[in-house]
Amino acid sequence: MLTLPQPFEDLGHTADLGVRVRGATAGEALARLALALGALLAGGGPVTPAAEVRIAVGGGPGLSGTAVALLRELLFRFAAHGLIPAAVEVLRVDEAGAEAVVRSGRYDPALHGEGADVKAVTWHLARLEPEGEGWVAQVILDV
Amino acid sequence: MAIRRIEGDLWELPREGRMKVPGRLYSVGPPAPDDPSLTQVRNVAHLPGILRFSLAMPDIHWGYGFPIGGVAAVDLDDGAVSPGGVGYDINCGVRVVTTALPAADLRPHLHAAATRIYQQVPAGVGASRAIPRLSARELDEVLEAGAGWAVRRGYAAAGDDAERCEEGGRLEGADPGAVSERARERGADQVGTLGSGNHFLELDRVDEVHDPAAAEAFGLVEGQVAIQIHSGSRGLGYQVCDEALAELTPRFAGFGPDYAALPDRQLACAPVSSPQGRRYLGAMQAAANFAFANRQVMTGLAVRALGEALGLSDRDLGARLLYDVCHNVAKVEEHLVDGRPRRVLVHRKGATRAFGPGDERVPAPYRALGQPVLVPGDMGRCSWVLAGTERAMADTFGSSCHGAGRLLSRGEALRRARGRSITRELETRGIVVLARGKKTVAEEMSDAYKDVSDVVEVMARAGITRPVARLVPLAVIKG
Repeated sequence: MLTLPQPFEDLGHTADLGVRVRGATAGEALARLALALGALLAGGGPVTPAAEVRIAVGGGPGLSGTAVALLRELLFRFAAHGLIPAAVEVLRVDEAGAEAVVRSGRYDPALHGEGADVKAVTWHLARLEPEGEGWVAQVILDV
Repeated sequence: MAIRRIEGDLWELPREGRMKVPGRLYSVGPPAPDDPSLTQVRNVAHLPGILRFSLAMPDIHWGYGFPIGGVAAVDLDDGAVSPGGVGYDINCGVRVVTTALPAADLRPHLHAAATRIYQQVPAGVGASRAIPRLSARELDEVLEAGAGWAVRRGYAAAGDDAERCEEGGRLEGADPGAVSERARERGADQVGTLGSGNHFLELDRVDEVHDPAAAEAFGLVEGQVAIQIHSGSRGLGYQVCDEALAELTPRFAGFGPDYAALPDRQLACAPVSSPQGRRYLGAMQAAANFAFANRQVMTGLAVRALGEALGLSDRDLGARLLYDVCHNVAKVEEHLVDGRPRRVLVHRKGATRAFGPGDERVPAPYRALGQPVLVPGDMGRCSWVLAGTERAMADTFGSSCHGAGRLLSRGEALRRARGRSITRELETRGIVVLARGKKTVAEEMSDAYKDVSDVVEVMARAGITRPVARLVPLAVIKG
């Protein structure tokens, strides 16, 4: 299981936030993408992982659609319940969907006040695909 | 990418490949051919049923799907509605409230007054509970009634606030039943909250009047205080758009070859008249009404807080809503297309309606002058109140710019702000800044934006909107 912090690149999107991650496998790249979302929501504040849940989402079109679907679900859990993903293991990822084990910490305004107000996970330039020896995943987040 | 100058600040991206219309762009200076937002203007030109042009206003910048600053009108019968052409923050918009308060009288109490408002209007990530959490029935009422719901509960500058909003503060056709449980969960306790990012509440001074007749009709007097509020439909609207895109993205190619040829999945769309299109429109209209109510509740809270901080009665404060405009919306409107009136669906993604003089859709007090067009700038420079023109009706489906437009990414803004206190820099210029996070202030600093006056000037030179008055910030509240 990967935990915060994990490396990610800022794509330099003008209005919003674009993030790109790499991994040895599709699952590792997707887990890092989920944790990049967690890092942005936490704004550099510490996140103590607590409850562990198994999350399954339907996917497609393509693997990038599955990546968007998992991040959409994580963002909803943050928006509705204040849960920041802090540790993620992707058990399965394909065009039909993804299954992941996620441990989250609760949002605390005192610790996470510098976190991004992520409105949504967009489909624009979304990727989860092989590149070189490994895999690359990216999304543009609407803020 | 081929770009040719039409005249002045107006440029064209010629029709190529499967584009249905050319792109047309109003630009501050010559457009850079490698700007990704130009590709987005071209992509939008592929939208089924798009009429005349894929338009971009001079505050254009890179969005997702549509560029920010994009306008696309489609035929109601064979056109497509695109949730991405409205955006996640449905009916993100801005309003200006005028007051009878001279800025000189506010100055000694500025920090206290701003602090009082800051305490009353929740701001920041996940801000909630400005008013008690709404029951399911109350939320349905908000989704149906928009600004009027809040006015009836006493959240108002004056009793006629709703009439002084675009569309009377309520979009027709709203279908609360099309708003999901998840969207309701995200929004039920967020009415009356500002949010974060580029949303703000400002106390401004009317700095310069450029059109005395229009300024008088709009209630703008040099030296007096105005309140400006920029926010939208909060989590409810984000979820409505998100779910519509999730439904349409895997399926839109099935609507036909024009749909399958769309070059960006974020442009996922459905025929306006299809069940999917109608369902999205009903939910979007309901979310737009939520946004009108949100800004209306904040208006009531801010006006009350300002009066309390200064010990002024409602009468002495003299608050009146000037106008409230939508920046992210799709609306059914009648426009002249090829010389004949047609009902079209106008997507405005980071653009403002700018109807001209004489239009019956403009509130009666302003009708002879053109619709007030409210254009916020950045927190260190200024904002503008403009008026719509007949030229806008002829050239841009009655649309104009919506803001300054970002120049820098958020990451680059943070890098350039390193070692500086943006709050202190603004305070040395007499601008009070109250914000939940330093990072947001750095991301939103003036350097991150084009100069809104340049943007407004392009629209004025093109005859699309007419400058009425400039507002300068006295106090800025950010999430």
